[in-house]
Amino acid sequence: MGLIQYISSRVGAYLIVLFVGITITFFLPRLMPSDPIEGYIAQMQNQAGQSMNPETIRELRASLRKLYGLEGTLIEQYVDYLERIILRFDFGPSLASYPRPVSEFIFNSLPWTLGLLGTSLVISWVIGNLIGLVAGFYHNSRWATFLETLGVILYPIPYYILALVLILLFAYIWPIFPLSTTIMPGDFSWEKINSIIYNSFLPALTLVLAGFGWNILGMKALSFANKEEGYVTFARLKGTPSRTIMFGYVFRNSILPQITALALSIGGIFNGALLTEILFSYPGLGLLMRTAIGSGDFNLLYGTIIMSIVSVATAALIIDLIYPLLDPRIRYR
Amino acid sequence: MIKLNNIIATYTTERGQVNAVDGLNLEFPSGKTIGIAGESGCGKSTLLKVVYGDLIYPLSLTSGNVEYGFTGDFGTEVTTKDIKDHWFKRISYIPQASMSSLNPVLRIRRQFVDFQGVDQDKEQILAEVREYVKSLDLPPEAIDAYPHQLSGGMRQRIMVAMGTFFKPDIILADEPTTALDVVVQKSILMLLMDIQEQMGNTILFVSHDMGVHYQLTHKMLIMYAAKAVEFGDSEAVFGEPLHPYTKMLTDSLPTIGDDHIREGVSGRPPSLWDDLVGCRFAARCPLATEICRQQEPELVEHKPGHFSACHHADQV
Repeated sequence: MGLIQYISSRVGAYLIVLFVGITITFFLPRLMPSDPIEGYIAQMQNQAGQSMNPETIRELRASLRKLYGLEGTLIEQYVDYLERIILRFDFGPSLASYPRPVSEFIFNSLPWTLGLLGTSLVISWVIGNLIGLVAGFYHNSRWATFLETLGVILYPIPYYILALVLILLFAYIWPIFPLSTTIMPGDFSWEKINSIIYNSFLPALTLVLAGFGWNILGMKALSFANKEEGYVTFARLKGTPSRTIMFGYVFRNSILPQITALALSIGGIFNGALLTEILFSYPGLGLLMRTAIGSGDFNLLYGTIIMSIVSVATAALIIDLIYPLLDPRIRYR
Repeated sequence: MIKLNNIIATYTTERGQVNAVDGLNLEFPSGKTIGIAGESGCGKSTLLKVVYGDLIYPLSLTSGNVEYGFTGDFGTEVTTKDIKDHWFKRISYIPQASMSSLNPVLRIRRQFVDFQGVDQDKEQILAEVREYVKSLDLPPEAIDAYPHQLSGGMRQRIMVAMGTFFKPDIILADEPTTALDVVVQKSILMLLMDIQEQMGNTILFVSHDMGVHYQLTHKMLIMYAAKAVEFGDSEAVFGEPLHPYTKMLTDSLPTIGDDHIREGVSGRPPSLWDDLVGCRFAARCPLATEICRQQEPELVEHKPGHFSACHHADQV
C-alpha cells in the first residue's frame, strides 16, 4: 500500500513541476517590457534603410503575431500554447531558420546532451561513491586520507575552469584530444561510435571530475558515520566477513541519502553541462540554447528551456522511483 | 569453566591510559547463569568485551588472559588469542539495543547466514533457523521480514535466536532487556532461562536491575571501580552479603508490604584517573577504618565459594 502511495505522490509532483515550468516559460517573456514583434519590424526597417508603408507593416504585424502565437487574449494564447506543447509537442517554427520546426532541432541535439550527461553522471556517481566508501570504511589508512584529499581538491572547482584547464592541457599543449567537437554525419557504424567517444572524452572527463569530488566527500562522511551504527558493530561481533560488512551493511545504508543527493544535483549538473557544451562546441542542447539566444530565436529558446525542464524532472523522477528498490522501509510501510 | 587470569583491561585515550578492569582473578563454573552488577563505569561491559575477545582500539588487554574451558580444532585450549574463530559458534553475544543491532535494509534471514564460516548450504541452515525460531514462539515468517516490520519484543527474540542458534557454550548478554517494557522483559528473560536449561550454556548476564539478577542468576559478581568486590552464589550474595557495597545495593531493593523510603547508595565512585590507594569503596563505606584507606583488600574466600574484598567482611 505504501508503495502505491509513494509512486503516485512522486508522479503527481512530477506532473505539477512540468506544468508549473511550462507555465512560467509562457508568462515570463510576456512580462518583459519589450515586444518581440515591434523589435523585429524595427530591425527590418533598419536593414531595409527606408520606412515601409503602414499597410504592409500592419499585415506583417498580423502574420508575425500568428507565427509567434500572439493572437487573441492572454488566456486564449495560454490555452493554445498548452495544447500545442502538451498534445503535439510543437514549439512552433524556428525564427532564425524558418520554417524548420523547433522540435526538429531539439530532437537532433537532445541525444547528445543526454548521452554526455547520462554517461558522465553515472560514472562520476559510481566511482565517487566507491572511492568515498573505501575512504570512509578504512578511514585510518593513508590511502583513505589521500582519496579524501582528492575529493577536497576537486569539488570546489567550477566546471568551466576545469574545462578550460583540460582543453589547455589535452587539446593544446599536449594535443591528444580535439579542440572542438566535429563528428561526421552518417549512419551508425563502429567508426562513428569511435569518433563520438573520442570527441566526447574531454567534456565527459570535465563533468566526471567536477562531479565526483562531491560524491567522494558525501559518501566518505556517510560511511564513516554508518560504521559506528549498532548493526555494523553487531555484524563485526558476529564475525561477518569485512567485505560483506562494507557492502551489505555500510554501503547499503549510506547509499540512500546519496541517491537523494543525486536527484537534487541533476539540475546543477545540467547547468554545468550547458557551459561545458559551449566550451567544447558540443552539439547538444546547451549549444543550441546559446545559438537561440545569439540569433534572437525565441521559439527555439523556449523550446530548449522546456526541454531541459522536462529532462531534469524526468531524471529526478526516475531516481525517486529507484529509491524504494533500495530502501525496504518505503516499500513495506 | 571460564578462568579469568589477572585481567587488566586498558582504554587508551588522549588523556592517557585508564584501567577499566583492574586485576580480576575469577573462575566461572560452566552451565550456570552468572550475573554481573555494579554502577555505570565499574567495568561490567568492559569485562564482557574482554571475555568476548573484542579487543579493538581503544581497548586493549594489558595483562592476563581468559581460558574458556573448551578446546579448538587442533585440540589446544582456547584462550583470548583465538576466541575470535569461535564467535557465535561457541561464544555468542546478545546486545543491548535490538532496535539498532539489525541492519534495516536487509531481510532478517540474510542476517542469519552472514556469520563467519557460513558459506555452505544456506537453504539448509535457513530451514533449521525457521524451525528454531518457531520453537522460540516466533512465527517462522518473521525471518523473511525487514527489522522495521517487527515489534521491539520480536526483534529481541530474533537477537536471542541469533545468539543461541549455534548452541554456544557461552552466551554474553549485555543488558538484553533494558529497552523493553516489563512484560516483554519478563518473557525474554524466561526465554533465556528456558534455553539455558535445555542447552546448559554458561550465561554472563550484565544488568543494572538487581531484581532481575535475583530471579535469574546462579552466581553473582559485584564490581566496583574496576575491581571485583564480591563473588558467590546468588542466594548467599543477596542473603548474607560480605561486602558493604553489596549490602547497600540489595538494601535498595523494595519488598512488597514495606513502605519505607529506600535509601540509595550516597556518594560517587572514585575517578579511575586518580591514584587509588586502599579500598576503593572506603570513601562511601560506613565501616571504613584506617586500614581501608591505606591497604587494598584482596578478594578472598570467606566462606566456601563466597569471595569478598573487604577488610571487615565479618562485620557486614
